[in-house]
Amino acid sequence: MSKHQYAMVMDLNKCLGCQTCTIACKKLWTDRDGTGYMYWNNVETRPGLGYPRQWDRIGGGWKDGSLQPSPLPTMDDYGHAWEYNYEQRLYEGKKQPVMPSPEPKSGCNWDEDVGGMNEDENYFFYLPRICNHCTHPACLEACPRKAIYKREEDGIVVIDQDRCQGYRYCIKACPYKKIYFNEVTGKSEKCIFCYPRLEKGQVNACAAQCPGRLRFVGLLDDPESPVHKLVLVHKIALPLFPEKGTQPNVFYVPPFNPPKRENYGNSIQEDPRVPLDYLIYLFGPQVKDVMVRLEAELKKTQEGGRSEALQLLIGRDAETRFHVRPEFVQIQL
Amino acid sequence: MRTRQLLITASSALLISSTVWAQAGAKPGAGQSLPVAVSSASAESLLHGGPAAWNQIAVKRVALNRTPPLYDTDEPATLEIPSVDIRTARAGGKLLVQLSWRDPTRDAIALAEVPTTPPETRFRKVQTEADDRFFDAAAVMFPSRSGTGAIAPSLQMGDAEQPVEIYYWNATRGPMLMQAQGRGTTRRTGQDFPANGTYQGGQWDVIFELPDLPANTTVAFAVWNGSQKDRDGRKYFSVWQVLQ
Repeated sequence: MSKHQYAMVMDLNKCLGCQTCTIACKKLWTDRDGTGYMYWNNVETRPGLGYPRQWDRIGGGWKDGSLQPSPLPTMDDYGHAWEYNYEQRLYEGKKQPVMPSPEPKSGCNWDEDVGGMNEDENYFFYLPRICNHCTHPACLEACPRKAIYKREEDGIVVIDQDRCQGYRYCIKACPYKKIYFNEVTGKSEKCIFCYPRLEKGQVNACAAQCPGRLRFVGLLDDPESPVHKLVLVHKIALPLFPEKGTQPNVFYVPPFNPPKRENYGNSIQEDPRVPLDYLIYLFGPQVKDVMVRLEAELKKTQEGGRSEALQLLIGRDAETRFHVRPEFVQIQL
Repeated sequence: MRTRQLLITASSALLISSTVWAQAGAKPGAGQSLPVAVSSASAESLLHGGPAAWNQIAVKRVALNRTPPLYDTDEPATLEIPSVDIRTARAGGKLLVQLSWRDPTRDAIALAEVPTTPPETRFRKVQTEADDRFFDAAAVMFPSRSGTGAIAPSLQMGDAEQPVEIYYWNATRGPMLMQAQGRGTTRRTGQDFPANGTYQGGQWDVIFELPDLPANTTVAFAVWNGSQKDRDGRKYFSVWQVLQ
């Protein structure tokens, strides 16, 4: 158990699927050899295939105290990374149009905005995903090299690139398939929760760049942090697939759209836009309680009152959304 | 959880046949003696001279065992490579060891060359072509210190009292020298050694150039089959053999 735990809350009601977080992460961390297909941060359309496709049905995680088997996703599941022929066009004077190669056949958010049908109406929402920096990480337990460790000072889960031998047991064990194998280095890589930024008092790149301002960052055990308030005080943010048993430290405020028809005065639970079963699939049965709480907060404001929870979710400024405490998590040497 | 896992590991280890288990801690018997030829050829010609250089050297067929499943995430594996043929020769102050085994699939690739210029200055990066392939490999293990007495090191990567050297060759990534003193302690030294692997007609012939180990040194062999997703402790292994 780490002394402190950094956590992130993402409000799915505010995600516009613009992938600015994805690009912020990619430019900072995975613009190297062997990392083309890696998205430490990705945003996928839900319901949908996800990235890698069908990751939520492959396997991994814990059951009755044991790691669960899982195949490795294949490159077809990720979609082979492609490059563009910029050099011919820009430097060699060739007139052919800029084209990707190899021909893209699948990729990150390939089924963008397809979503699903709720009776006769289409619905979808976006699900941004990073490593969950779990309290009980299956990847860490699976690694025979002990190359994966959870930082005692802040709970961030990282892979020691010197110890890693690229065995990929971690990728199999992770139920979120958030570890990627770099064939060029022969080692596995994952989201590092931007710990070098946090150590300097800067928030994660994905959170800093998010135009929708949907990401909240702080220490879960810091009563002043927005993540503490959203997860533990207001109890309106839930982890993804809690039944996988890894105890994620990334939490989501579930999509909370108004009822489909005649919404004024009606409860979202009577006529939900996003089927409740699907939200239960993603966030577990607790999502029903969160819906009730969110609806109560909404009612409070509609009646002229003030909702601390909704004010916090609006997150107007960085000081509200981020509570990075490098001085708090320093190890006493 | 960890205690439980240890118990599982310990009970799996017991599944290894008693012959094998007896090896950890005892000196190998006469059946495990390994003939060593003395060759007038140079180490270089044995390493790169092709099959002709090795034809006259006596062969010893060594049985391979499959490690039991070590992890909950492992699929079970069958014994597809029952044995490895070992030829050993002293030449030019070196000990050359050839491992030959039948393997219907050649699991090896030519990795793309990575340019020395920083990736951010290039239009194109080298891409990961696949994330789910594993490569054929082989290794020779022997005690780091010779003449340490009647007890052989643990077959599971040596032990604290008797560290081991592991000369590891990978069909894709080439030779690497490793050291270990017990299971889970194996580390790369960053050094390599001369080795040569060829695949022809469904057979691997891999030649290792080792230091000139004295007679009575215990050596053990391992083979990894990429198509069976072998890596790490998921592999084939022999019991300790004794150099003549």
